[in-house]
Amino acid sequence: MKEAFFQTARELAERGREHIPDPLRSSGNLVYSSPATLAYNSPGAQGFGVKRAALTLPGSVMLLVSPRCCGRNTSGLNGNGPYGDRMYYLLQDETDIVTGRHLYKIADAVQEICSSRKEKPSAVMICITCTDALLGTDMERVCRKCESLTGIPAVPCYMYALTREGRLPPMVSVRKSVYSLLKPGKRRPDAVNLLGFFSPLQEDCELYEILHKAGVKVIRELSRCGTFAEYEKMAEANFNLVLFPEARYAALDLEKRLNIPFIELTRSYDTEKIAKQYLLLGQAAGFSVDVSSCRAEAEKEISAFRASFGNPSFSVGEWLNADPFELALSLLRYGFPVKEIFGTLGEANFIYVKKIAFLSPETKVYSNLSPSMLLYEERKEDLPDAVLGKDAMYYHADTPGVPWNSEEQPFGFAGTKKLFRTLAEAMEKGRKNP
Amino acid sequence: MKKLLKLLSPFAPDHSGAVSALFELGGLLVVCDAGGCTGNICGFDEPRYFHAKCALFSAGLRDMDAILGQDERLAGKVAQALEETGMPFAVLIGTPVPAVIATDFSALRKMVEKRASGKRCLAVETKGTALYDEGVSLAFLQLVKTFALERREVTKGRIGVWGATPLDLSFPDASRLVSALVSSGKCGKKEEVFCYGMGAKIPEIEQASRCEKNLVIAPGGLAAAKELFRKFGTPYEVAYPCLPASLKRKMAEWKNRSAGRKEKVLIVHEQFAANAAREELEKDGSPDWEIHTGTFFRFFPEYGRNGDLVFAGEEDFAEKLEKGNYTLLIADEVFHRFLKEDSPAGFIPFTHFAVSGRLEEE
Repeated sequence: MKEAFFQTARELAERGREHIPDPLRSSGNLVYSSPATLAYNSPGAQGFGVKRAALTLPGSVMLLVSPRCCGRNTSGLNGNGPYGDRMYYLLQDETDIVTGRHLYKIADAVQEICSSRKEKPSAVMICITCTDALLGTDMERVCRKCESLTGIPAVPCYMYALTREGRLPPMVSVRKSVYSLLKPGKRRPDAVNLLGFFSPLQEDCELYEILHKAGVKVIRELSRCGTFAEYEKMAEANFNLVLFPEARYAALDLEKRLNIPFIELTRSYDTEKIAKQYLLLGQAAGFSVDVSSCRAEAEKEISAFRASFGNPSFSVGEWLNADPFELALSLLRYGFPVKEIFGTLGEANFIYVKKIAFLSPETKVYSNLSPSMLLYEERKEDLPDAVLGKDAMYYHADTPGVPWNSEEQPFGFAGTKKLFRTLAEAMEKGRKNP
Repeated sequence: MKKLLKLLSPFAPDHSGAVSALFELGGLLVVCDAGGCTGNICGFDEPRYFHAKCALFSAGLRDMDAILGQDERLAGKVAQALEETGMPFAVLIGTPVPAVIATDFSALRKMVEKRASGKRCLAVETKGTALYDEGVSLAFLQLVKTFALERREVTKGRIGVWGATPLDLSFPDASRLVSALVSSGKCGKKEEVFCYGMGAKIPEIEQASRCEKNLVIAPGGLAAAKELFRKFGTPYEVAYPCLPASLKRKMAEWKNRSAGRKEKVLIVHEQFAANAAREELEKDGSPDWEIHTGTFFRFFPEYGRNGDLVFAGEEDFAEKLEKGNYTLLIADEVFHRFLKEDSPAGFIPFTHFAVSGRLEEE
C-alpha cells in the first residue's frame, strides 16, 4: 500500500546533508498543497507575506504592479482593517507583459494615488512579481521616476516567488526594503533595534530587561513604530540585534550604509542554549548578563508541565514560531519523546537532525511538501499525545495541540515558558473533553 | 486610470476558475507556478480546500526552470506524482510564468503521458491575467472534449448542469445546489441532476450525452454546453435558479416599500445571476422600473437587454454608476463603498465570491 514518504532521523543522519532524499527536498518534487502547506505557498495567507510586511513601514501605501492573480489574496487585507485603504493595484495584461508598457504607467498611477489621499503617504512601496522578474524590470529606476514626480519616497519590493530558494528570497528582500529609507544620522549609544519580525516580541521577553540593565534606554522594533518619524529614529541605533535569520541581509545593508553593526541571536526553546546565547551577547556587546532567574522560571514551568502530564510524546510541525527541528531537539533534551517532525530540511537546520538522531533515532521526518503526503494517515503506533504547529494539528485533528503561530513573537526564556504554559492549557482542555 | 484599482482588489483570476471547475473530479491538479498562485487559489478562491482532500499541487517553478525551460524535469515530476499518489489523470494549469516563457502545454502534456504509463494528462492554458470565468470555461470545455466522447442513449429526465462553481454560487455545498435546482422546478428528481464541477465526477462527464437537457447556470458553462449540443445535439437552457433567499426577501421588501415609485436599478454580478435577479424583481410586475444588469465578466449579448452594462474596470464602473443615477444598487458588498455618503440610492447585497472572496450566508 502506498503511504506518505518519511525517513527516520537515523536514516537521515546516516545519509548526510548532501544526500537528503528527493521527497524531502522542496525542489525535488511537485509541491503538495494541503492546508498544512498554505503558509509555504502563500506566506500572506496567514501571517506576513511580502505585501503586509512591506506595509509595516508606518504611513506607507503599496502599489502592486502585477497580473490580477498576484493581488487576489490581498482581498483579505481590504475592508476596515489597518490595511484597508493602503493597497492599490495596477493590473498587467498580456500586452503589458509583452511590451513592458506598464512601466510607463507606474509613475502616473503613483501620482494619482498620492493625490487621491487626504494625507500624503510616507512612502509608496511598489511591489512587483514573477512577471517582472522574468522581464528583468529595473524597478529602482522606476521608483526614482515616481519619487521625482511626487516628492514621496518610492521603494521597490520584490515578490519574486521564483527566487524563494535563491540567494535573496522575497521575505529576505522585503526586510531590506522596509529599512531602506533609514538615513545616516546622529547615533545614540543607548539605542538598539530589534530586527527580524514584522510584529512585536512578546511583552514579557527578558531580552528587554537584559538590554535595559546593560544601559540601553531605547529599544526599537519596526512594528512598534507608530509614525514615520519614529521609524526614522531607528537610524540612531548603536547596534542591531537580529532575531530571525531572514533579517540578516537587511542588517548587513544597514551596517554598510549606516555603519550600524549587528549581533545575531537564534530563537531557541532549549534553556541551556538560550542562556549560553545571552552570555555571548553580553561578551560581544561588553556587558554582564545574569539570566539565572528567568531561566529558573522557564524550567519551573517545564517541571510543572511534567508534573501534570508526565512525559507526553509530540508531533512537531513547521507552521509555527520555531524551527521544527530545533524545537523537536529541545523537547527531546527535556526528555519528551518526539514521534514525528513535519519540516523542510535545508542547510541551516540539518545540523539538528544529527543531534535528534542521537537522542531519538526512530523519530520520523516527513516533508509537508511531498506529493506522497496526500496519502498521510495517522499510524496507531505513532499517535502523539500532543502536537505543535498548525500543520501538525491538521494531520492530528483529534489530538490536543497548540498552533504556536501567534503574531506576537515568542523569544528566549519567556517564549519557552509561554510554550509550556500554552501546552498545559491545551492538554488540560484535552483531558476535560477527550 | 483604466487598470488602476483604488477601492477594489483584483477579482478571481482564470487559473482559480480552472481549479474550481476541476476540484472535485479526482485528478492530479498541477498549477504551473512558483507557489504563490497555488497559495492564492487555496487560501482565497477555493472554499472547499479546507474541508475536502484534493490532489492539488504547485509545480514549484524556480528561476532556473523558467530561464532554461526545463519542461522535461517538470514532466518527470508530474509523472512521478501520478505514480506516488495513484491519481488516474493529471491536469496542467497555466499561470503568468508559463505564459511569459511561452510554455508549449500541448507538448508538455504529451511528455507527461509518455512518462506516466498511458495516464491521461490535460492542459488548461490559463495565464493569470484573465478573469475566473474564462478559466472555468476553458476547463469545462477541455473536460467535455477529453471525456465526453461516446454518444449514448438519452435518459428521460436526466439533466446536466454546467458552470457550477463556488466562485459564482458563493457557496461550496453541492447538495445545496441540487436542492435549489429541484425546488426551482428546473430539474426533476435529485438523482437525475448532475452538476459538473460540484458533485458529478468523470464517469458522469463520460456519460454527458445521456442528458435530456443541459442547464447552464453561469457563463463559464456555456462553451461546454454548446460543444455538447454540437456533438450530441443535447439542447441547453440558460438559467440561474440559485438566488439566495435573503436576496429575494430584500428585493421583495424594497418593492413593497417603493410601491408606485419609479426606480432605476443596477444589478452587478455575473450575467446569468444578474439576469435572474432582474427576473425576480420583475416577477409580479414592476411597470415603471428601469432595471439594468452590469458585469465585469463575460457578457453574451443574446442573453442581455438594451442598456445592460459591461465594466472595463473600477473607474468605468464608478463613472457608469454615477452617470446612471440609480436608485438601487444590487451587488456584492464591496461595491457599497462606491455609493457616496450623501447618495440617496439604496443598496442590497448580492454576494459574489469571485469578487469579494466572501461566501453567502444562508
